[in-house]
Amino acid sequence: MKVVVCTKQTPSTTAAITLNNDGSVSWEDAGGKPNILNPWDEYGVETGIRLKEDGKASDVIALTTGAPDDTVGLKTALAMGCTEAIIVADEAYAGVDTLGTARIMAAAINNIGDVSLAIFGRQINGDMGHTAVQTAVKLGWTPLTQVTAINEIDDDRIVVERAVDDGRETVEAPLPVVLSVSKEIYEPRYPSFMGIRKANRVKIPVWGNDELNLDDAGGSKVDWSDIYDIPAREGTVQMIDSDDMADAAKELVDSLFEEKVI
Amino acid sequence: MPKAKFQWTDPFRLNDQLNEEERMVRDAAREYCQGKLMPRILQAHRHETFDRAIFTEMGEMGLLGPTIPEEYGAAGLSSVCYGLIAREVERVDSGYRSTMSVQSSLVMYPIYAYGTEEQRQKYLPRLASGAFVGCFGLTEPNHGSDPGGMETRATKTADGWILHGNKMWITNSPIADVFVIWAKAYGEGENDAGAKEGDIRGFILEKGMKGLSAPKIEGKFSLRASITGEIVMDEVFVPDDGLLPHVKGLRGPFGCLNKARFGIAWGALGAAEFCWHAAHRYTMDREQFGRPLAANQLIQLKLADMMTEITLALQGVLRVGRLLDEGRATHEMISLIKRNSCGKSLKIARTARDMHGGNGISDEFHVIRHVLNLEAVNTYEGTHDIHALILGRAQTGIQAFTGG
Repeated sequence: MKVVVCTKQTPSTTAAITLNNDGSVSWEDAGGKPNILNPWDEYGVETGIRLKEDGKASDVIALTTGAPDDTVGLKTALAMGCTEAIIVADEAYAGVDTLGTARIMAAAINNIGDVSLAIFGRQINGDMGHTAVQTAVKLGWTPLTQVTAINEIDDDRIVVERAVDDGRETVEAPLPVVLSVSKEIYEPRYPSFMGIRKANRVKIPVWGNDELNLDDAGGSKVDWSDIYDIPAREGTVQMIDSDDMADAAKELVDSLFEEKVI
Repeated sequence: MPKAKFQWTDPFRLNDQLNEEERMVRDAAREYCQGKLMPRILQAHRHETFDRAIFTEMGEMGLLGPTIPEEYGAAGLSSVCYGLIAREVERVDSGYRSTMSVQSSLVMYPIYAYGTEEQRQKYLPRLASGAFVGCFGLTEPNHGSDPGGMETRATKTADGWILHGNKMWITNSPIADVFVIWAKAYGEGENDAGAKEGDIRGFILEKGMKGLSAPKIEGKFSLRASITGEIVMDEVFVPDDGLLPHVKGLRGPFGCLNKARFGIAWGALGAAEFCWHAAHRYTMDREQFGRPLAANQLIQLKLADMMTEITLALQGVLRVGRLLDEGRATHEMISLIKRNSCGKSLKIARTARDMHGGNGISDEFHVIRHVLNLEAVNTYEGTHDIHALILGRAQTGIQAFTGG
């Protein structure tokens, strides 16, 4: 069984992000690691690797789209244990929104061929969470979102547990399916040094429109017209001065009630 | 000149001097150390406990014997990578780094470098995975800086050796499965290795051998998160296949120590960086007399000195790492960086403790722990003064170790 894990390279969670005067965004990381594998995708990668370790999956292929050298996330996925990685990079695909990304992912999954399962993390840094479902629609596969556990899987079907409001539900679907997994599913492993060495020996193929033959990736229907820093919070600090702790506590509680904080 | 930006945490852009694999190794090591080791260290140090599971975790990551080739279950990384890993582990605690260094440089390295293929196959994969814990017996109660005076003897018998003697200050010994022991060998006669009577030879001992025990040393005020003990050998029989055949003399243990000292030179700087950053954060946040402590010239001078020493020292250890990987490093270079890193890091840690005021003595701020640890790190594997004598001899040609 072939499993594809769809991933994205994102700015490091520790990076300092700067909004430049021209409206572009740049970032730098004091720890020397500006880009990482999208942290939500680590759960997807871990899920794929576990399926391989359990003897269910034969191949676990990490897939991404971006610039040709956006390979940090893929190398992390390889170092964790994915068996292959592919990057889709073509100038024609620059600036796509989630629907465009879904067209690219679906085309790449079809090009890989014979895939039973595509796994996404819950969301990427745009915080949309659309791409898994949009990819499922483009593929004509069943989307199963917010998956917290894979209970059973064989060549034809999968049984998963999904997080829903106030509880969990168990769902069965015929393969192929698209999963988006939540962080309850497994704790992602750290990339091992043995894995890092292997990852750096792998030549990651770059696919473009010659391979995918998309008439139109779609550009972006979403217009990112205004990106701005969150305004600095304005607030005042009220110090409660009292010799008696009980009085001070009462005054604090009264103030919190008054401000409708509690 | 293109516009360059100064980054105070990495003034000479060490990051740019690493290749992609080195950066990935550093980052993975940092994630593991900060994610798994840092949350444990306060209690481990406070209560002097060592969690055996750390060996298994380190084995899964590839932290044990990272420079040993992949065919033995290790990662086969460069010396620079080993240094970067030591720096990340010691950023958390010198005790954890000691645990890793001993297994890697003092147990796996001699078995790899001086052992037979059978010994390599038997021990290295299990030491790499953390299934086995190893220790290294060189120092004795009466012989620290002068290992050539060791009293432990190995006497040849028909089918093996009888080892007798005591070793002291041995990291990991109370929980060790494998003991690399250095002893003066007698009764061997002429052999292929050209060994003479009383030559120092290396042996592999295993837990459970009759007459072998390793009591824990209590009351340490340093490296409390790693376990330290003695090794007591009371007429321990070691079969012939327990001898490390491919080395004799002090060259054997010193070859191991060179590898370990190189890692220590990197590691101590990790501890120093932690202390520097902690002092920076504390003096920026803490206000006295209506302004941050960091607004005072006295504080800024200390921060500037820390930045300078650490930045220069990191360039030094990286340079020696590159030379080591090219096969061009010498033991004098390693003495220079071991001595420099440990001495400077200890001073930085003490200064950082001072900058934390009263809070500096609390383990919750972690700096006092680094001060205590670095006292040992500055002493073990060649004291600050012994390395000065090595560097003195290297430039004068006159040895000053003995009166003669």
